[in-house]
Amino acid sequence: MQSLPNFEYLEPSSTQEVAELLKDSNTQSMVISGGTDMLPSMRQGIFSPDVVISLQAIPHLKNVEWDESEGLRIGPSVTLRSLESNADVLQHFPMIAKAAHAVGSPQLREMATVGGNICLDTRCYYYNQSENWQACDQECLKLGGETCKASPSGRATKCFAVFSADLAPVLVAIDARVTLLSARGERSVDLREFYTGDGAEPHVKAADEILTSVLVPKQMTDVFGSYQKYRIRNSIDYPIAGVALTLRFEGPEKKVEDVYLVISGVASKPLMVKRIPPLLSGKVLDDELIEEAAVLAKKAALPLANTSGERAHRKQMIYEFTKKAFAQAVKYGSQRS
Amino acid sequence: MKQPLALCINGENHELFLEPSKTLLEVLREELDLTGTKEVCLLGSCGACTVLVDDRPILSCSTLAIACKDKKITTIEGVKNGHELHPLQRSFVEKGAVQCGYCTSGMILTGKALLDENPKPTKAEAAEAISGNLCRCTGYAQIIDAIVSAPEFAESESTQAQDPLAGTLDSGPYLMPETGE
Repeated sequence: MQSLPNFEYLEPSSTQEVAELLKDSNTQSMVISGGTDMLPSMRQGIFSPDVVISLQAIPHLKNVEWDESEGLRIGPSVTLRSLESNADVLQHFPMIAKAAHAVGSPQLREMATVGGNICLDTRCYYYNQSENWQACDQECLKLGGETCKASPSGRATKCFAVFSADLAPVLVAIDARVTLLSARGERSVDLREFYTGDGAEPHVKAADEILTSVLVPKQMTDVFGSYQKYRIRNSIDYPIAGVALTLRFEGPEKKVEDVYLVISGVASKPLMVKRIPPLLSGKVLDDELIEEAAVLAKKAALPLANTSGERAHRKQMIYEFTKKAFAQAVKYGSQRS
Repeated sequence: MKQPLALCINGENHELFLEPSKTLLEVLREELDLTGTKEVCLLGSCGACTVLVDDRPILSCSTLAIACKDKKITTIEGVKNGHELHPLQRSFVEKGAVQCGYCTSGMILTGKALLDENPKPTKAEAAEAISGNLCRCTGYAQIIDAIVSAPEFAESESTQAQDPLAGTLDSGPYLMPETGE
């Protein structure tokens, strides 16, 4: 059996202790929660930390709390299975439960956590390979090479690895915030600002920071939400195209007040389609507008041939999902009148 | 650096001395000779290494053994009751749900977790439950049938004389071979 590289294992009992441990920049430390993505990558030699810091001895990170004034506070160690079956999540933000249920397989959801899904590493055919495989060609950019082998020219100096989480695009669409803690202090970051779009460094969380909490704002409880996912098999696999939509109608005419469409599995971050809000705001949705929005989403999706599924097919799925999500929103709006 | 670790597996306590980098799968198969748990993809993509930790199905290839201290681990070797097969195992035999056998341990543990929570699952619920367990012999129909039929075997536990396979195995009806424990 291909074993994991050796490391020192620590199980601190508070987030402050984790922050202190991460402060030491002389050792390469990584935080482990579910381990479903990290351990297979370690086995392939992608990561080889000196120290692995487990969060499992910090019980409060496993809590989901509904706060009447703030909203839903989700701990990073909450497993996707407990999230998808949590009564508060199902009542206030059913789209979050649906996205959590769309991840991986039952066993993976039993292990994988909210924090891990938000901080998921990007994936690529040229990156997620064994050391032997890597040794046969020039190094991938994300592994320290000069150029991105997945880029169409093969010479780009930007990494195009794909961000493939299901929960993250929904949390971006629903305007969640995360709290990051380090020995330098605590900061709150809007998830819409959290992802960089650079496959090599997909998010702004620094190496010495730990994600301690996710807040889904109370104001979003009355928005319509939808998440659609495309993958090769209907279980286990990562998304290769996904659409998350949040939409709020106003007035008896059901004009679009607030709309946010995020596409996933087709870029190095959960990608907001920026041209959709100006297109739709203040208007009543009809087939023509929905068609226009779906075309915009399809144009924004620029998948590369570095994950499973054909590029043209994945783009088309973004178009289809966008249409379906808006059609669902219209139906939801009409039922509420 | 190696460190002591106590694990409770199938109701038995094991005192081990291990690198923290050892996965639960490595410890089961290589330290404890519990080779009923299978190693296949090592990527979390196949479900063959499924075991129960605190009665929930997880992938032992992607779980550190050290993270399982103070938890209850159940492997395929611990599913039987003494020398008698679990009703789900009997159902697998009866329904022809075992072909090459590589996915079987994982299928049974995933199925057992479902049955413990939902004693009379529908076919759809069984299919959903085993959606993370791949069978490359394409035997899903029989496996799903075996899971939904398991309650029948629980009810007939005390009526072994009626078992169609009774007496056809060398060691008696549904008896496990002695493992020399």
